[in-house]
Amino acid sequence: MRDVSFAIAPGEMVGFLGANGAGKTTTLKMLCGLIHPSAGEVLVAGHRPQRRHPDFLRRITLVMGQKQQLIWDLPPMDSLRVNAAVYGIPDRVASRRIAELSDLLELGEELTRPVRKLSLGQRMKAELLAALLHEPEVLFLDEPTLGLDVNAQMRVRQFLADYNRRTGATVLLTSHYMADITALCPRVMLIHQGQLFHDGALDRLASRLAPERHVRLELEQPAPAEAFTGLGQLDRLENCEVNLRVDPAALTSVVAQILERFEVRDLEVNDPPIDQLIGELFRQGSL
Amino acid sequence: MRVFGLNWRIIRALLSSQYAHMLEYRAEIALWALSGVLPFIMLSLWSGSAARAELGLDGVALDRYFLSAFLVRQFSVVWVVYAFEEDALLGRLSPYLIQPLHPLWRYVAGHLGEQLTRLPFAALIAALFFVIQPQAFWVPSLGGFVLAWIATWMAFAIAFLLQSLIASLCFWSEKATALERLLFLPFLFFSGLLAPLTAFPPAVRAWVQWTPFPYLIDFPARVLSGDPVNLAAGFAAQLGWVLLLLPLVLLLWRAGVRRYSAMGA
Amino acid sequence: MGRYWRTLRRFWGTALATQLEYQANALIELLAVSFSLGGSLLLLSLFFGPGRELGGWSWNQALMVQGFYTVFDGMSSTWLRPNLGSIVTHVREGTLDFVLLKPIDSQFWVSLRTFTPAGLSEVALGLGLAGWGAHQSGVVFTPAVLITVLVMLMVGGVILYSLWFLIAATSIWFVKTWNATEVLRALLASGRYPIEAYPAPLRLLFTLVLPVAFLTTVPAEVLLGRVSLPLLALGMVLATGFFTAARAFWMFALRHYTSASS
Repeated sequence: MRDVSFAIAPGEMVGFLGANGAGKTTTLKMLCGLIHPSAGEVLVAGHRPQRRHPDFLRRITLVMGQKQQLIWDLPPMDSLRVNAAVYGIPDRVASRRIAELSDLLELGEELTRPVRKLSLGQRMKAELLAALLHEPEVLFLDEPTLGLDVNAQMRVRQFLADYNRRTGATVLLTSHYMADITALCPRVMLIHQGQLFHDGALDRLASRLAPERHVRLELEQPAPAEAFTGLGQLDRLENCEVNLRVDPAALTSVVAQILERFEVRDLEVNDPPIDQLIGELFRQGSL
Repeated sequence: MRVFGLNWRIIRALLSSQYAHMLEYRAEIALWALSGVLPFIMLSLWSGSAARAELGLDGVALDRYFLSAFLVRQFSVVWVVYAFEEDALLGRLSPYLIQPLHPLWRYVAGHLGEQLTRLPFAALIAALFFVIQPQAFWVPSLGGFVLAWIATWMAFAIAFLLQSLIASLCFWSEKATALERLLFLPFLFFSGLLAPLTAFPPAVRAWVQWTPFPYLIDFPARVLSGDPVNLAAGFAAQLGWVLLLLPLVLLLWRAGVRRYSAMGA
Repeated sequence: MGRYWRTLRRFWGTALATQLEYQANALIELLAVSFSLGGSLLLLSLFFGPGRELGGWSWNQALMVQGFYTVFDGMSSTWLRPNLGSIVTHVREGTLDFVLLKPIDSQFWVSLRTFTPAGLSEVALGLGLAGWGAHQSGVVFTPAVLITVLVMLMVGGVILYSLWFLIAATSIWFVKTWNATEVLRALLASGRYPIEAYPAPLRLLFTLVLPVAFLTTVPAEVLLGRVSLPLLALGMVLATGFFTAARAFWMFALRHYTSASS
């Protein structure tokens, strides 16, 4: 990681994007104090994370989609009781919070069934409960929806949005699923090759990654490639099917020229889908 | 041509891939080799004890017996139940079951690959032993060495079959490895690893010789160290145990696989 | 401090609940413990006979050593193996992160997270055997002797824990070499017999480098009233030293763990 610097305000929901190995998890681990920064400074909730001061640890939580802290052979309730003791939460308070959170997460008798008998989605919801029992102010979520089916993904997403609204907790999230990010995070950070490539709204990232618009044409008659010179970058030309990339500023004039020059059966103008753009970025490996 | 589902090509492929796999774990295997030092600790006890006269093994012979016991143990260690349990838990078993090769062969090859990886470490420990006890040094005759080799492999075969019997129980029980402990304890005390069988009272010895345990360490170790031993009786007993256990293992295994596929797990 | 007590109670409560999920295992463990003790006694008896001793120890005196060994073996299977064995699992599966993010001492967590009650029967059997051996050897149990034995058993426990922990902590670097603890266990087995039964170089090794002597021989000698004060002091110094080393090494290991950017 080089020259990554940013500030996040309390209550924000921020999504981290990046290819595998780009440094998403490293950033998250650095923020919660599991990895020491070799240079520079990290300050979370007023603490230097790498000291892992108990006061700091009480105010954060980490959820990792591919790792679990619940005891495999026992019902989640037992793990919750352990966490309550570790965080010094009185029993009465703990029971109340468990009731509230399990309500929100739609967890009921699952809490009293051994973890090994729960489905992946139920297990992740129980993990979230265990991670939130001490009412942390900062949530670090590393791939919280990994491997879940679409339904369960939506449930978890819904819960996180609710939780953020209700408690005003700050949420930092990495995910492979763009849907998580688009649904939850008004602000997105893209880490690429250890550097912060983008920090801001998601749609601004889209226009930065792909300044052109995509124009798809279906012609009545096949046309030669030379016919499209000056209109834009020709991506595909197959019989009557044509794909063009066009500068947004010139879009109206280009469309007008096309309609003038060709007999058009169908015309469509698109923004390229954001996950495809990011996927391309990661595949290329460089910008 | 295939014998028990094997031909030369399969054997070569299995052995070389498992050897390469085990080489990756050589640090771990070196430590396993080192954790077999118990016979040496027992040797130092027996050497200084007043009871050694009862053993019928004198001076150098006792050194050689325990070194041989160490070596035989090194090359007959079996861990199939642990590997099998892990494979079953992690769901690696199903692909093995649909291959036209008995899955146990894969574990046999794994053990042979591990023995080969272990060889230099075991040799190093033996060399160290001779540096400390130079008077115990001996080179067995070629015939004696070959016989000891066969006896050790037969010991390995018996141990492997015994443990496979328990491994097959993994199909029924979640924790068959716990049963392995119960098998290990009589092995520890009655195989000759901690004391030559001649040290035991005659009544115990008479009883123990009807179990497989003395043929796992005591018999091969005596062949290797060149002690007088009834070769015919020893090999016959080893062969008998293999012939008894093999069909049992195959039957139990088949029943287990049937249960496993019926459960659709 | 209260929080640590409460946490410990929860830890062991869940451990007990886990064990109840596998009751058959406890039964097997019980069977194994009795087999093991029976076998050990048979093996020990081989060294004795009319008028024969082992390193100057009579049969009854050697029973005390064997008894204390059984106590520590029971302690290993109740406490050390289940806890310290899981450090490597934590490292391999990355769940050590969860432990490090809890507002509680991580060494406390990995050392006391669970226990296997089945091993307690071994501890009890060992104490019984040591008591029987002491009684047969004509030991008079005065409060002073009992307190000294208790202290020395704790010294032994601290030494054993620290050694085991030191080795288990190396799994932070070498995930694969966790069976180093198997080597330790093999060497610890030497504690089944009085230290005097071994040749001089091994005696030195088992007193100073790998102080097995303080686990079994020394408590038995305390009961027999033939232990010198300097030896007891040496035991305490070693225990303190090993424990401090274990603690320092854990801190060092964690610094390494958290500086490796993965």
